[in-house]
Amino acid sequence: MTQHVNNTSETPGTPHTPDTADVAPQPAGSRRGPLRWIMAAVGLVATLALPWFVYPPVAMDIAAWALFAISVDLLLGYTGLLSFGHAAFWGSSSYVTGLIAIHWGVPFPIAILGGMLFAMAIAVPIGYLSVRRTGIYFAMVTLAFAQMVYFVANQLSGLTGGENGLQAIPISFFGIAPVETDPFFFYFAAIGLILLGIWAAWRIVHSPFGRVLVAIRENPARARALGYDVDRYKIIVFVLSAGLAGLAGGVFAISHGFTSLEELDWTTSGKVVLITVLGGIGTLWGGPLGAAIVVTLEDRLTSSGFEGTGIILGSIFVVIVLLFRHGIWGTVRDLLQRRMEPRHDRGD
Amino acid sequence: MRNKKPAAVVAVAVLGSLALAACGGGGPTAAGGKLSDGKVVIGLLNDQSGVYKDLSGPNSKVAIQMAIDDYKAKYGAKAVAKTIEIVTADHQNKPDIANTKAQEMYDRQNADIILDVPTSSAALAVATVAKAKKKLFIDITAGTTELTGKSCNKYTYAWAYDTAMLAKGTGAAVVRNGGKSWSIVYPDYAFGQSMNKSFTEAVTGAGGTVQQSIATPFPNDNFATFITKAASTTPQVIGIMAAGGDLINFVKQYNQAGMQSKAQLAVGLMFITDIHSLGVDQFAGTTFTEPWYWNFDAQNKAWADRFQAKTGTRPTFAHAGNYSAALNYLEAVQAAGTDDADAVRKQLDGKKINDIFLRNGQIRSDHRVVHDVYLAKVKTKAQVTEPWDYEKIVQTIPAADAFEPVSAACKM
Amino acid sequence: MSAFVQYTVQGLAAGGFYALAALGLAVIFGVLGVVNFSHGACYMLGAVAAAVLLDVLHVHFWVALAIVPILLFLVGVLMERLLIRWLLRLDPLYNFLLTFGLSLILVDVVKRRYGVSGLPYERPAGMAGQLHIGGIGLPTYSVFVCLFSLLICGVVWLLLTKTRVGMIVRASTEDADRTRALGINVGRWVTPVFGFGIALAGLAGVMAAPFRAITADMGSNFVIILFAVVVIGGLGSILGAVVAGFLVGLVEAYGQAYAPTFAQVAIFVLMAGVVLFRPAGLFGRDESA
Repeated sequence: MTQHVNNTSETPGTPHTPDTADVAPQPAGSRRGPLRWIMAAVGLVATLALPWFVYPPVAMDIAAWALFAISVDLLLGYTGLLSFGHAAFWGSSSYVTGLIAIHWGVPFPIAILGGMLFAMAIAVPIGYLSVRRTGIYFAMVTLAFAQMVYFVANQLSGLTGGENGLQAIPISFFGIAPVETDPFFFYFAAIGLILLGIWAAWRIVHSPFGRVLVAIRENPARARALGYDVDRYKIIVFVLSAGLAGLAGGVFAISHGFTSLEELDWTTSGKVVLITVLGGIGTLWGGPLGAAIVVTLEDRLTSSGFEGTGIILGSIFVVIVLLFRHGIWGTVRDLLQRRMEPRHDRGD
Repeated sequence: MRNKKPAAVVAVAVLGSLALAACGGGGPTAAGGKLSDGKVVIGLLNDQSGVYKDLSGPNSKVAIQMAIDDYKAKYGAKAVAKTIEIVTADHQNKPDIANTKAQEMYDRQNADIILDVPTSSAALAVATVAKAKKKLFIDITAGTTELTGKSCNKYTYAWAYDTAMLAKGTGAAVVRNGGKSWSIVYPDYAFGQSMNKSFTEAVTGAGGTVQQSIATPFPNDNFATFITKAASTTPQVIGIMAAGGDLINFVKQYNQAGMQSKAQLAVGLMFITDIHSLGVDQFAGTTFTEPWYWNFDAQNKAWADRFQAKTGTRPTFAHAGNYSAALNYLEAVQAAGTDDADAVRKQLDGKKINDIFLRNGQIRSDHRVVHDVYLAKVKTKAQVTEPWDYEKIVQTIPAADAFEPVSAACKM
Repeated sequence: MSAFVQYTVQGLAAGGFYALAALGLAVIFGVLGVVNFSHGACYMLGAVAAAVLLDVLHVHFWVALAIVPILLFLVGVLMERLLIRWLLRLDPLYNFLLTFGLSLILVDVVKRRYGVSGLPYERPAGMAGQLHIGGIGLPTYSVFVCLFSLLICGVVWLLLTKTRVGMIVRASTEDADRTRALGINVGRWVTPVFGFGIALAGLAGVMAAPFRAITADMGSNFVIILFAVVVIGGLGSILGAVVAGFLVGLVEAYGQAYAPTFAQVAIFVLMAGVVLFRPAGLFGRDESA
């Protein structure tokens, strides 16, 4: 895009520090190693402890939205592409998962797998067409495609239930009754899938493939000059991202026993972008953090009868975009790094 | 040890936020449901901030409280339910939120019954949850016939109206009064499609003809082309099946197009709050069917006065319906001696009711409550004597004629 | 045939709202590089302002038509001064997100204050009924909206071509750096231009007030269609925004008349098609995005 008023185009996701945090090569014996394992351990403990502290269906929502946000971050933070139509994958997977569960009664992980594969399948043509553009154009075209998916789902109301949504999606898990009837035990059965998704995202980011993505984000022309087929990389990460969004959407559908057109609406695409930006673009922890904040906040506000969830969320979002562009996690990380570096320079 | 510091910071932060969240009530659900220790919890789930806020919304809590007060006044020390609580939640007219909130109300807040639930898709979602949790649900404000059809279940009741009743009332009555040729405009989704079907049956059954059925996108704010299409066959009546904001759009544009003088407007689903928000003049002369009207007779007006003293406004049918449902539920609890759902519903099934909301009412085998309903015509501005006095009741449609018979699709 | 003429007039009337609002969006994008997600909310504010002015101050439609755009101009100036300007140096996606957050706030504030049931509004004096032109009955107000929006677009076009400010706006849209290199203080015009763009959205809102339900949500789907309009016309092309606005209105009307099921999605198919095969839109220049 031509520069307008005064532009030093800082693409979303670029951290301040010269060392691009999570993706720089690790020197041998780096102090970052144990730190990362400790954080992972803490995260795991928090994840497993969550349903003890929070109403289990809400805990499941947090986990699902966390993975959904991570999928968006893969595109936005690591590849520099803002998708404003990711609900197409989350939502369509939720429907396909639900339909498989209702009509074939298979154990829910299989149903979710089916939903995920469907999301990836439609991501291929959508991605192929969308990656021809970047920046705001990419955002617009993904929005347009998501609207089309919404339209199709609404038209096929005999299959999808239309406005009424898809009702009575069963939980089937090898006949293990507590999992099938109590949301608390279901959480532990389903969280494995979410963790698998997060692990997959982590692997993608910390791999040579992931580093090419960052290179594409920073300077696509140079990446192309170095011989990388930029469009092909973008399509691949788009499809992978759609798969993760589909995985999250499938878990969501089974957990609620219900899905509706709301999950395909552009406001859902907006919400996940909000969560991602809030948590921190270009960080994997940002997704879970943002999801925890937004889901809990919404739950509290609607239960208390407070009118004005939009004002609160919108204001938080505006403040984050204005002042803490790296989101909460990104800002905390930057602060901690700045505190640690001078000491490192002193040779401690 | 410096390595550990950031990790320590993070760990403290995470555990701290978990501790803060700890009032969230996690943990496994106790098996077997709770017998709420002499406490009856009534859940009110409706739209507290959106299009149906004025129709039922927060004021329905007031209505339910009135029912609780009347119940206690009647039974005094002999009341089975000594402690009665109301819990509320806003479903924002979204079925997914309704689904979640209903589960929360039954599990987390120990609700014994959920009332209200406008918007058909939300009502169906709650009915599914009620069936799964084996707890009661009385719907007042949603109109889908599926609640007592395909999606019926032992724990779900439809208390006030449904789309078939609206069609039989408005459709047949307007035809009998001379409006024989119709063009129907309907939004192309489940509710609109079922309204179109019901109205077509009712109109043709009463001897009228439906010249065209025109589908519009949903939601939609631009009806200009559809109005033109509908008017092109010069029908005597144009029937509009849109509701809420879409209805307002339609009526505004309908009047803007000068159609008020060209054809009679019959509205499939309309509430007194729609008249209030658009203004009496734009709706003047329109016919529709009401489950209940506050200014119908002295008995209704007396209750409406009580309601107005507490809220400053007149009640809609939803408020009166919530009052009636809550009171009858409490009476059933009294008769059963417990708040166990299965015992209570045995008291409700087949019951005949005559109260301020239901005249000649009876709870049918499909859990549809049949009762007298009213054909209303909107007054002109000159005829309105006080705020909310918008309707003239033209005809009372007796319970026996008002509703469709029990559907074969309902298998409890 | 007469039905076709009626559909055309209705399409041009609906298109008029789109064209006016899209014109504002295009001007803002052209000079600031901001894709204003809150444009739909500003349209809504225009309609709400008209309704409130009528209710509280008994200001009628014809006066509101003049006052409300001025009010919205001030709102735009405030927005730019307080929020937008801090992010102008960054990737346009940041301001896109900022305005998205802003739209959430604006919609909710209106919801809290006025509910969602819709505010009543009058029929403007002298606009009731139908005009009979060539034996075809056309709603008077639709004809008015068509002609008035064309008029305003024409006036804006004159402003852009005949005045110095307009020249600066056009030059800045094409190439801000070169304009500045010529010694023109573009920065000085940023705030008024933003305000002007918002004022246009507000104007569209006032004109919609007699015609459409005035609800807090009325701008939410409107803005999505606006995006389709500016993309089809070409982001940054002012002429494109206007032409595409009327075009989309017509597509909507004909679609509804002849193929209602597809009317809703036709616009997005068109939008995707343009982005993919002619990304500059109908009138834009190819920015190798």
